[in-house]
Amino acid sequence: MSSDPLVQIRNISKSFGGVHALSGVSFPIQKAEIHALCGENGAGKSTLIKILSGSVTPDTGEILIGGQPLTTGAVRASEQAGIAVIHQESVAFPHLSAFDNIFVGREPKRFGKFFLDRPRMRRETRALLERLGESFDPRKPLADLTVAQRQMVGIARALSQDCRLLIMDEPTASLSSRETQVLFRIIRQLQSDGVSILYVSHRLDEVFELSQNVTIFRDGKHVSTTPTNQLTTETLIKQMVGRDLLEADSSFSDSASGALSTPPLLQVRNLTRLGTFENISLDVHAGEIVGLSGLVGAGRSELARAIFGADAYDGGSILVKGSPLPPHSIHAAIEAGLALVPEDRQHLGLVLPMSVGANLSMTVLHSLTSAGMTSGRKEAPIVRQLMADLQVKAASPKVAANTLSGGNQQKLVLGKWLATKPRILILDEPTRGVDVGAKAEFHRLIRNLAAQGVAVLVISSDLPEILALSHRILVMRQGQLAGELPRERATQESILSLAIPGGAAA
Amino acid sequence: MTVLPYGVEQRRGIPMRRLLAHRELAVALILAITVIAVSIINHDFLSLGNFRDILIKVAPSAIVGCGLTFVILTGEIDISVGSLMGFLAVLLGLLTSPDYAHLPVSLSILIVLAAGTFIGFINGLLITFGRVPSIIMTLGMLTALRGATKVLIRVYANDRWIGNLPDTLRFLGTGSILGVPVSVLTALIILILCALAAAYTPLGRRIYAVGSNTHAATLAGLSPNRIKLFAFTLTGFLTAIATMVSVPQLSVIDSDIGVGFELLVVTAVVVGGTSISGGKGTILGTLLGVILLGTVRTVLTFLKLGTDATYWERAIQGGFILLAVLADQLAKRDRSEDE
Repeated sequence: MSSDPLVQIRNISKSFGGVHALSGVSFPIQKAEIHALCGENGAGKSTLIKILSGSVTPDTGEILIGGQPLTTGAVRASEQAGIAVIHQESVAFPHLSAFDNIFVGREPKRFGKFFLDRPRMRRETRALLERLGESFDPRKPLADLTVAQRQMVGIARALSQDCRLLIMDEPTASLSSRETQVLFRIIRQLQSDGVSILYVSHRLDEVFELSQNVTIFRDGKHVSTTPTNQLTTETLIKQMVGRDLLEADSSFSDSASGALSTPPLLQVRNLTRLGTFENISLDVHAGEIVGLSGLVGAGRSELARAIFGADAYDGGSILVKGSPLPPHSIHAAIEAGLALVPEDRQHLGLVLPMSVGANLSMTVLHSLTSAGMTSGRKEAPIVRQLMADLQVKAASPKVAANTLSGGNQQKLVLGKWLATKPRILILDEPTRGVDVGAKAEFHRLIRNLAAQGVAVLVISSDLPEILALSHRILVMRQGQLAGELPRERATQESILSLAIPGGAAA
Repeated sequence: MTVLPYGVEQRRGIPMRRLLAHRELAVALILAITVIAVSIINHDFLSLGNFRDILIKVAPSAIVGCGLTFVILTGEIDISVGSLMGFLAVLLGLLTSPDYAHLPVSLSILIVLAAGTFIGFINGLLITFGRVPSIIMTLGMLTALRGATKVLIRVYANDRWIGNLPDTLRFLGTGSILGVPVSVLTALIILILCALAAAYTPLGRRIYAVGSNTHAATLAGLSPNRIKLFAFTLTGFLTAIATMVSVPQLSVIDSDIGVGFELLVVTAVVVGGTSISGGKGTILGTLLGVILLGTVRTVLTFLKLGTDATYWERAIQGGFILLAVLADQLAKRDRSEDE
């Protein structure tokens, strides 16, 4: 391609509270090309999308559109430059009709500037939908349309603003294969009309089917931009994973080797929650750490919530020590010795304005309470013990939880559940956003727990972490168990090729 | 004129569920049944004079209801309108009455309009840019304004009441143009303007958009704060208008005008189908809600319950609002089960 690129992204960096989401990213997007953007969870893809669409301001760097610098951090400026985004979950107005959704914010006006030009809105909507080959009633509220139709409304909105760069974030995540084919046809048609498409997807088969160029991000850095026909699935995955295996089995205990001969502590049988996960069966033995890997959206957290009784499920059963657990009862799960340390510690894990001590004793308050009064004398030693075990760095148990660092807050979440002396511990992304030192401490803690006979199920998107911790690794893909890898055979590549749709068969 | 294309959902299913989704229809039906039933019991009910009385009574709630519909559509609430009306009524009385300031009526009207608009603006400013939750902000405003009203009466009117209003002001409350009472005419004009604005202007669309999905509205380049600020300011302005056309109907102005008015209007808006969580509702629905509640009040008078009528009215009002929110939730559950 001899002509100048449509978009030049130059040296873009962005940090959120000291975490580098993007550092010095540069790459071009050509005119009328489908450009795929790949990377693991947290590689910085969403941050780049937000910067391009103007909802996040980059710390450094510039973006040129057709040679002109883009005013960053302004939704309007991005729109006027011809950038449109189709978000993963169609971000739109469920109560408004399709044509209002298309025009909201830049409505055509008549009779001066006060009235909507409804005839024009109707005319243009009809033309847009026709161009997309859709024939649903645009007066219907969006909530009454199918996911695919809602997406078409999003695309129609993009087209109505003469977009030159259409960004699609996992557009096929909730589409059927027939709807996906329709979408692909439209994407190619847009391309031949001269629109450039930045296609963000985990699905490598789609990347290979559609794109001319692939850009790969890893840990917020640009790895490569390569013509798609020079890549294979293997080379692509290798570039996405990239990093070396750190501290894989230095302090690994083989306490689980004998565990498999005992009956499993937790048995999940054919567990199904419609539309979320399907037919999941797994065992976790006492003393064993089982890793649960997969991409974001594969249904791992949802599975954990269902096991813990936080969500209902549609089929299957959960057995603890061979006896069935009643569905959708957190109370019963806790009684049976289960504990879930959730992913979103800010919202689900801690009451941040309350003290460290109060947070730690929260799960066992009833046992510290007699005649309606909580005994501070019983509470203090438990809190002290937990703080020592977990090496929580806090001035005293009385300081508020939100004064602690992220890593120490994470320890509190874990500690709060350790107070219940769980026999089965489910950890969802236990070290997300935690620095390297705290991470190693966490891993030591988790191994110690397993050595004491706790059955541990760890969900993590961090592949080195899964590899370092787990005795066995289960991989989920699109709500199903794609396969199981014993730790001897598990590598980042083997896990990813199970996790990625279009990768290896189970 | 199509005033109700929004919030009307095409749903299959049993008629009861359909009725829940088409709130305007349901309210109109309940209204019709009430009127027919009471007419059978008491033939006097269905007279032109009575009909006129009901319209005069509901005019102020219809006017304020328009503003409140917009506020609730954006996902917020304003419960200070009753106190604001009381405050503005006393202000209007003090300004115009020959016993007190005795300013020209036109100037007084301008001052009252400005005061109402300004207080609505303050509500909106603190809620949007000050991030005070609207229920707390307007609860505070409700209490503060009621207190201020008592102080005004105590300091200037010697803790009594204000009578002796000038005739030009009286005309706004009791006069009529071409046989239509001024208050009803005013309400009609405002209803039409607001219904048009809701359905046919970019501003209207944006009010729905903000209430439907604030995050998406921001991503679409809208400023939810500015739109909300507008809705609160408009509500303050319309409360001043409603004060102007209703208060001069009274023989005297005391410090208790507008007590409970906010509940009446919020109930009417919600009964009329505006979703308390925002994004859904129509001005037509609000009008029907206002008329339904006004009719209930008159019906209770006709049933000759004496002083009990007031208590019954409150009980029925409370029942209505609970039913309306319940119907909303059922319709919502119906929808999520479909998906």
